[in-house]
Amino acid sequence: MNYEFNWSMLLEEPYIDWIKEGLLNTVQLSLMAWFIALTIGILIGSIRMMKSPVLRFIGTFYVEIFRNIPLLVQLFIWFFVFPLLLPDDLMRAWNSLDGVPFLTALIGLSLFTAARVAEQIRSGITSIPKGQFNAAFSTGLNTFQTYRFIVIPYAFRIMIPAISSEFLTIFKNSALTLTIGVAEITAAATYIESDTFRGIEAYSVASLSYMFTTASVVIFMTWLENFLRIPGLIGKK
Amino acid sequence: MDFNVIIDNLPFLMKGLFTSFQLAFFTIVLSLSLACLIAIGRISNKKYVRYPSAIFVNLLRSNPLILIVFWFFFLVPLITGRPLPAFGSVLIAFVVFFSAYFAEIVRSGIQSVGSMQIKAAQSTGLTYPQTMRLIILPQALKNMLPALVTECVIVFQGTTIAYIIGMREFLHSTSLVAERTIRPIELYLFAALVYLIICFTGTRIATLLEKKE
Amino acid sequence: MSLPLVEIKNLSLKYGNYKALKNINISFFPGKCVVICGPSGSGKSSLLRCVNKLEEFDNGDVIFDGQSLKSAKNISQIRSNIGMVFQHFELYPHLSVLNNITLAPIQVKGLSKKDANFNAMKLLERVGIDDQANKYPAELSGGQQQRAAISRALALEPKLMLFDEPTSALDPEMISEVLKVMRDLADNGMSMLVVTHEMGFAKDVADEVVFMDEGKIIERSSSKSFFENPKSERAKEFINKVLLKI
Repeated sequence: MNYEFNWSMLLEEPYIDWIKEGLLNTVQLSLMAWFIALTIGILIGSIRMMKSPVLRFIGTFYVEIFRNIPLLVQLFIWFFVFPLLLPDDLMRAWNSLDGVPFLTALIGLSLFTAARVAEQIRSGITSIPKGQFNAAFSTGLNTFQTYRFIVIPYAFRIMIPAISSEFLTIFKNSALTLTIGVAEITAAATYIESDTFRGIEAYSVASLSYMFTTASVVIFMTWLENFLRIPGLIGKK
Repeated sequence: MDFNVIIDNLPFLMKGLFTSFQLAFFTIVLSLSLACLIAIGRISNKKYVRYPSAIFVNLLRSNPLILIVFWFFFLVPLITGRPLPAFGSVLIAFVVFFSAYFAEIVRSGIQSVGSMQIKAAQSTGLTYPQTMRLIILPQALKNMLPALVTECVIVFQGTTIAYIIGMREFLHSTSLVAERTIRPIELYLFAALVYLIICFTGTRIATLLEKKE
Repeated sequence: MSLPLVEIKNLSLKYGNYKALKNINISFFPGKCVVICGPSGSGKSSLLRCVNKLEEFDNGDVIFDGQSLKSAKNISQIRSNIGMVFQHFELYPHLSVLNNITLAPIQVKGLSKKDANFNAMKLLERVGIDDQANKYPAELSGGQQQRAAISRALALEPKLMLFDEPTSALDPEMISEVLKVMRDLADNGMSMLVVTHEMGFAKDVADEVVFMDEGKIIERSSSKSFFENPKSERAKEFINKVLLKI
């Protein structure tokens, strides 16, 4: 292998700006998508626990569609197909928006991840022993109170690891949005690589960004888990 | 909408789908074998085995697949001195990437069996290899089967990423036909439907396996 | 004679194709401690869960304190008058012992936090674990957890207490501390339905024993005559098995 390293070029114009913009896009996109995905996911997850078979079907339908079509295909559909299905004036309005790729990426990532969050919510709630429901009902709590005071606070603690790993998944998945023209950090790395042929340096920047964020999130979540830890219950995940 | 365009181009599209299956199949077989070694390394009590395995797994799990593909696309020709066919580079990247995920599944499968089973087996005079082969692995396999199937679905979904470096798998074939015929609606919806059917079948199997417990 | 507190009429319960309860008719009177026993799978726990409608029964009805559970509009209201104690305690793991006890009085009965805390502390004192009030369930021993669970049920000042194998999950040395609390309740005139394998408790504390097998009530006697002179062959066999462990 014959390769001369030149790390300092990463700090030169315009590469340093590409990196900054890439990082900003990745972080913005992931945080916003995570927030939307959590909201929709909790909604869909709760719908799937309802008694009404119609609501349950809607929830299941959503989850199966959005988790079984690869994210890249979903992004393409939002990017190439969705605008074509809009009525003419809406389509014109959509195309004249600033940052269509970013918006498309946001929709695609959020809806895809919401399906996964909904599954986590459901399995979190079903993991609560039936005896807990019986105990709550036996003291006269109604269904709403039982969820409000017993099921959700408990399920939330069980689900912290899953929810944080969903954030890391979104964060990594956001790299796929380079295919529809979002200049996130992996995209920035490929631009630098094709401009300078310095792949190792360029990809190292991207990799280190992901690894640094992953490590920070893991450390923060471990702290949060410890903070919310129920005394006496040890090592129970 | 005119779905004749799909029928006209079906042989071309199916060739792409076949490539997707090939990539998924080889990835699963090779990365699962590698994963078993890594998993055993992860639970080894020797530090010089355990730490490298842990670093390998965490390094890969904290990077996006697409970036790993770019890494290998750049590094492999640099190391071998000549470019490799796209399928080769992608396959290597996929095997390395997914072996980290499979390794974690295998590890938690083995750990789910519980150390009392090992003690019980050894108390009846079984040797360590016998214990692993006859007692631990069969139970571990049963425990981890749903997660393995789910991961296989994720591998199949992941094959779409080979599109990005120009490998002619199913999504790429679809986009080529979509561009040539200017019929993106029909083609992308068709691709979505095909992926949906295949992956839904996979996740159903995983759910059924889980319920069998 | 006073009116029955619980009246079970033609009650049947199915799990899928399995008939857990077959046309049960029985009444329980206030102030009595009744032990329900029988081999496993005999339907005794299912019967207990029907009394506060934790099971949806297919046929028949349960009348509690003059109200039909089948047509009850506000089942939560009725349940808050029936305390229940579970085999595995079912304390809420994320709440302290004190909050486990005060949750329902505050939410269901609308008590102020101050009053609820005061009552809860008195109950904890009564069962002898007032020093554990601010700990979490997982920090307590099994016997302490079950006594906390009994306090939680008592906090609603129920007219009836249901005990579903309250000592089956306990280590032997902890069984007596729970039984003592239960005996104390019975001595104070609490109406109790107790599913248990503790034949000592049935003999010494219970007023009556109901023996069940295969989803039916086989016999009902005063506890004295049940142990000295069981009417049915099956009850005789059962007593021999659990009492003499042969």
